[in-house]
Amino acid sequence: MKIALAQISPKLGDLEHNLQIHIDYIKKAKKKNVDLLIFPELSLTGYTLKDMVEEIALEPRTDPLLKKLAGMSRDISFVAGFVEEKEKGLFLNSAAFFSEGKISHIHRKIYLPTYGMFEELKFFGQGKNFHSFDTPFGKTGMLICYDFLHISSSYLLFVGGAEIIIAISAAPGRGISDDKGYASTRMWELMGETVSHFFQTFVIYCNRVGFEDGKSFAGGSFIYNPGGQLVAKSPHVDEDFLVKDIDLEEIRRFRKSRPYYRDEKPEITLEAFKRIVARYED
Amino acid sequence: MKINPGFVEKLLTRFIKEELSKFDFKKGILGLSGGLDSAVCACLAARALGPQNVIALILPYKETFGRDAQDAKEMAQGLGLQTRIIDISPMIDTYFTLHPMKSRILKGNKMARERMSILYDFSAREKALILGTSNKTELLLGYGTIHGDMACAINPLGDLYKTQVRQLARHMMVPDKIIKKKPTAGLWAGQSDESELGLSYTRIDKVLYQHVDLKKSKKEILSEGFPDKDVEKILGLIKGSEFKRHLPPIPKISARTVGHDFLYPYDRDK
Repeated sequence: MKIALAQISPKLGDLEHNLQIHIDYIKKAKKKNVDLLIFPELSLTGYTLKDMVEEIALEPRTDPLLKKLAGMSRDISFVAGFVEEKEKGLFLNSAAFFSEGKISHIHRKIYLPTYGMFEELKFFGQGKNFHSFDTPFGKTGMLICYDFLHISSSYLLFVGGAEIIIAISAAPGRGISDDKGYASTRMWELMGETVSHFFQTFVIYCNRVGFEDGKSFAGGSFIYNPGGQLVAKSPHVDEDFLVKDIDLEEIRRFRKSRPYYRDEKPEITLEAFKRIVARYED
Repeated sequence: MKINPGFVEKLLTRFIKEELSKFDFKKGILGLSGGLDSAVCACLAARALGPQNVIALILPYKETFGRDAQDAKEMAQGLGLQTRIIDISPMIDTYFTLHPMKSRILKGNKMARERMSILYDFSAREKALILGTSNKTELLLGYGTIHGDMACAINPLGDLYKTQVRQLARHMMVPDKIIKKKPTAGLWAGQSDESELGLSYTRIDKVLYQHVDLKKSKKEILSEGFPDKDVEKILGLIKGSEFKRHLPPIPKISARTVGHDFLYPYDRDK
């Protein structure tokens, strides 16, 4: 199976321009016989939208732009990010999985960072669930940025049967040392390594690049195999088109040698959670 | 768009008083042009601080704005403000003799920044806080000179549309000739905001109110019968002037960055 990551810099608030970027990359990927192409978080809109959120939102069932994109997914699958108006006046930070000529799944970001430089809860509603859904490549789960930094998100996808975890992101870099790249990039890799190793899934992380209001999106997209090994990585802060062959058989291979998935006990976790949550007090 | 001018007056005089006391200032200073906005601001300041604590700088360029300067002077005297008149012609003329420039907009901007520079100097000399006079219409359209007339310490009129400032002016007994005067940015003699913008403030404010306060989309505004050309122009001006409403962007490098995630209130430690 061939995977491609489009580490792009969308233009803030310009759907038409960003649609063109998507079309260009989809064509490029098709030429290279890519099976699955990943775009970053809010790839169709840009990230720092603030009050533009409600002006740029799309309604997946009727929107012509999304229909046009869906039409391009007959011989390639791809993931793109957009602002979804799920119900009237309810705006969500969403990721769509395009495959076989339609949107086959939408994940709505659950963990909306609202601290320090982030203010997503001011502008977005929260998603409500993590789903592992069927794709031509096996069960897959999608996460958006800060979702991925909560290990329970990947755990739920793993327990739900996911073999591939796709995390799309618009993560600004922060903190520097004498290392090349931002210090924060390590945090994403650490999670990618951990999740892929212990949940024995492919982890595909696609971040964006470019500046918005001084925020510098760090890039550093990557792919980990189900054994926790880094198999491909994009550069820091530069635009990139990363194409990599992966072997889905590796899932079976790693799960045979260490049966974490077989031995997982979600019902015990569930009962323990119920007891813990029941004891919550203010 | 109607305001209760009595309430707004009370609110803004309290604001001016409280802001100055927080920052340990007794006096306020502002540039008085002879136009509506600075006249209203001067009235509010006089009521908030007492006229003896308000310094009005009248900063004309040559004789071009003779009548406006005269109106400003009368206005300041009527209110009992401390008044100084400083002719900015020598500074402006020296500069443009050395670096000639035909564009009257650029000349006007330079004048606006000369006035700003004098205001800041006198602010320090007199220990007086600078009161801005930009209204909401100007801020949204970007109809002001960045680091010129837009520069100030506090901006009392920043959330009132031009037509609302006019309502407040009537309530505050600003002389009729100032209220009825054609609005001008004073960038050159005979300039009129409304002919330069190609729209009256009444029309502009109606569209701004629909778009900004009521959050209506372009489509919705058009469906209410506002002309396409006007709406297009107004929304374009808003979008094109975003930079005037922000501090300059700082590229984020470290773990904590001014403006990004080093966040304290303006009123910190006051």
